[in-house]
Amino acid sequence: MTIKYAIIIAEQVVKQFAKSRNTRGLFAFFIIFLGFALQIGVQEMLNHQELAEHYSQEVRQRWEANPDKHPHRMAHYGYVAFRQKFPLSFFDFGMDAYTGKSVFLEAHKQNTVNFSEAGHSSSLLRFGQISAAMILQILVPLFLFFLGYDLIAKEREQGILKLLFTQGISWQTLILGKTVGLFLASLFILLPTALFGLVLLLSNAFEMDILLRYGLLILAYTVYFFIISLMAVLVSAQSQTAKSSLMKLIGCWLFLILILPRIAQVTGQNVYPAPSKIEFDKNVEAELIKQGDSHNPDDLHYKAFKDSVMKAYGVDSTHKLPFNYSGLVMKEGEKLSAETYNRHQARLIEIYENQQNVLRLTAFFNPFIAVKNISMALTGTDFYTFNDFQAQAEKFRYQLAQTMNELQIKHISNRVKNSADKKAKLDRQEWVNFPDFKHHFLSIQSALDAEKVSFAALFFWIMLLFFPIRYANQWFKII
Amino acid sequence: MNITRLLFLNFIRAKGFIIALFVLVVASLLSLYIGKTFIEKHQKNIQKTAQAQQETIDRYVKFENKEMGLLLYYLKFGLVNEMPNLAGLSIGQRDINPSTMSVTIRNLEEQKYNTELHNPMYQLLGNMDFGFVLIYFFPLVIIAFCFNSLSEEKESGIWKLLCSQTDKPFLVIVQKIAIRWVIMEILLVVLLCIAQIYLQIPFNISWIIFGLVAFLYVLFWFALCTWIVSFQKNSNQNALLLLISWVLLTIVLPASANAFITNIYPTQEAFETLIESRDGYHKKWDLPKEPTLQKFKAHYPQFADFQHPENKDFSWLWYYAMQQMGDDEAQNAVKQFKNKLAKREELSKNIGYFFPTIHTQLVFNQVAQSDLDNQLKFWEALEQFHEKQKLHFYPKIFGDAPVLQENWQQWKLDFFKSQFQIHWAEKLLPILLMTIIFLILAMFQLRKIIV
Repeated sequence: MTIKYAIIIAEQVVKQFAKSRNTRGLFAFFIIFLGFALQIGVQEMLNHQELAEHYSQEVRQRWEANPDKHPHRMAHYGYVAFRQKFPLSFFDFGMDAYTGKSVFLEAHKQNTVNFSEAGHSSSLLRFGQISAAMILQILVPLFLFFLGYDLIAKEREQGILKLLFTQGISWQTLILGKTVGLFLASLFILLPTALFGLVLLLSNAFEMDILLRYGLLILAYTVYFFIISLMAVLVSAQSQTAKSSLMKLIGCWLFLILILPRIAQVTGQNVYPAPSKIEFDKNVEAELIKQGDSHNPDDLHYKAFKDSVMKAYGVDSTHKLPFNYSGLVMKEGEKLSAETYNRHQARLIEIYENQQNVLRLTAFFNPFIAVKNISMALTGTDFYTFNDFQAQAEKFRYQLAQTMNELQIKHISNRVKNSADKKAKLDRQEWVNFPDFKHHFLSIQSALDAEKVSFAALFFWIMLLFFPIRYANQWFKII
Repeated sequence: MNITRLLFLNFIRAKGFIIALFVLVVASLLSLYIGKTFIEKHQKNIQKTAQAQQETIDRYVKFENKEMGLLLYYLKFGLVNEMPNLAGLSIGQRDINPSTMSVTIRNLEEQKYNTELHNPMYQLLGNMDFGFVLIYFFPLVIIAFCFNSLSEEKESGIWKLLCSQTDKPFLVIVQKIAIRWVIMEILLVVLLCIAQIYLQIPFNISWIIFGLVAFLYVLFWFALCTWIVSFQKNSNQNALLLLISWVLLTIVLPASANAFITNIYPTQEAFETLIESRDGYHKKWDLPKEPTLQKFKAHYPQFADFQHPENKDFSWLWYYAMQQMGDDEAQNAVKQFKNKLAKREELSKNIGYFFPTIHTQLVFNQVAQSDLDNQLKFWEALEQFHEKQKLHFYPKIFGDAPVLQENWQQWKLDFFKSQFQIHWAEKLLPILLMTIIFLILAMFQLRKIIV
């Protein structure tokens, strides 16, 4: 019986929306706007991929085109790694605009990932970016609040509410019915968007992992819309007049979307202060100074190392070693400096994660943050995806430097004076043999692991909002 | 005059009024605190950079003092993009682009684009500076104050009473809105005064422009509200229309404009620059030295007399000539790249003339020197700074001057102060015109009101 009534109420809500020309117009606007945003997103993603692809090939060709030379020169010639965009990034731009796109990889030195879109943008960027995710996360909820604010409050104002209850309809039925009605209406926006997104996705990528992500993504937005619908109806049920209901809902929207995230940001930054570049470099350098200069085989700090190597081989001069000694020293130096850097980098990332966790935890007050984080993780535009790129690039840099050191150790005689020596040249085939950099993406599992809290928060919200329904009779007044 | 007093009292006794103003004041004060923290962080960063530079110079001069060329391979010299305290009110792009750069005299293109370390999540969320509070929150409060200034009277039946007593009822509405406007402007002025004292903002043209544009921005929203109110729709419709205007002006249109700009001016030249400067330098290691040296001497005829020692595999002259080639060969791409960015900035400004939200943000960032234009100027200043260092040290390196004869104590941080011309009309007119247009439209509409 309850269910039947709830269905009737839901149906009425949807019909009521469908009747109004203005409302129909706004639905059409949102669907078109979302389609437009998806189209722009795909275009931008493809443009980026094309550029990244083009310049990666360019870098590879130039790498292979290097003549015969000393391998350490190749280690300094280095490589450039370009960040790819995840095939789902057209849906949600996430922090893509704020993270660098390319990094120069060379021996001895970890460079920053440079050329972020934000660094190339005018102040306009800070107003936000139009993406399907932005519209679904920010604008559609506002629209749903507008549709839903008077669903119950108006009936109370008009005295219809009393009439309904005399007919035996319970609060539970009413709230459920209205919520489902509003939620169904929201699906008229979400489903066409999801479908169009899927078409765009399938024309570019066809992998199980990505499809699974996309499915989860749409599911997350579905849950989000349900929460928003329920919120609107509950506030409407709680408000004396439609006007006060609208005011409260707009206040909620402002607080959750504009204010709370920024306050969480300031808090996070103050609780977990992160070092600036100059401090970071200074800390790394201080440790490296203690380790000595591996470029200089006579460096005092490497004396102990030298003695132990000579002792192990039973020689009295490094020239008599059966391999290139300065290559070995550089290999050791690279190892030590990379370890140091990675340790500091890991600490830095930990600070950033702590900062972000402050924000992530506010998802328990703010479903917007939950869906924002989930959306970024699933579309590969989050912090972890970027970090993973940085880690892959560093790993590649390390391999490059060490491979060149190995070549030097193996093939270069101890008797050559310097890298200009004719005998110090290796065949260019060695460069061709060295594999290209390929940016791989994390699997869906790591995205899910990273956003456990956010998923929990969404779940928590549904539970939380069902409480008022359960105890509606005590909480809400009919008049 | 009596009626003005009555309207005033009526307004400030309303329950929502105090709450809205309270929220606004708290948000503004919080934004000032955020701005102050940002400036302090910048100052601290300058100190740390200066200290690091001093320490590095001392250490290397002590341990690497045999060859000038080798020493300068390591030494870094810092240039600070001076940040006016006004930037605390409008942080702009200053949290993205580093405000201090330390560079060696080796090729600049490999160093110029290095970034600060930052948490991208926080950049994405943006800063809650005073500019943000003014651009986003003030209009909302204005909307809340105005949306029912006419409809409320009608809905409560007072309107008819009013019309029977005066033959110019619209004047009452104008007065009602004017009172709210005066209150909001007073609040703004008070907040700006607090900001000036708290952030120690010098009283100069930038500050006056900032204040005037803020003042006009508030007026603009009142004009827009009056216009919408003048259509005599009911309260709900007014609220809806005004909120849609707000969403369009603060979110949808600026974001669309940005998408448009990035789309028509893509910046692939950035990658080009990177690749060209890298090859420009590194490839020279494996090429004959003479062409490199000749190109270098063509660039710097004043060093034509220095020679690469014959039969030597290496000299610092050759080394720095190679480095120079990195910059020289990327010049074309660099020029195009900077050109693109300037075009992006230019187009943003042009679009801003039609949208007061965009215009206000751009003007704020411009006078606070936190916009892309400032970054471009800083890059240019960095290029000149780098050139100056090179010209100072090149002859000493090539002439193998003794390291210890140089006065190393003189190499403190350099400061760059961006110069820009303020065109009053360009800053004030666009928003003033928009405001006047809406006011005139509203007046016409209001005059029509009889009952």
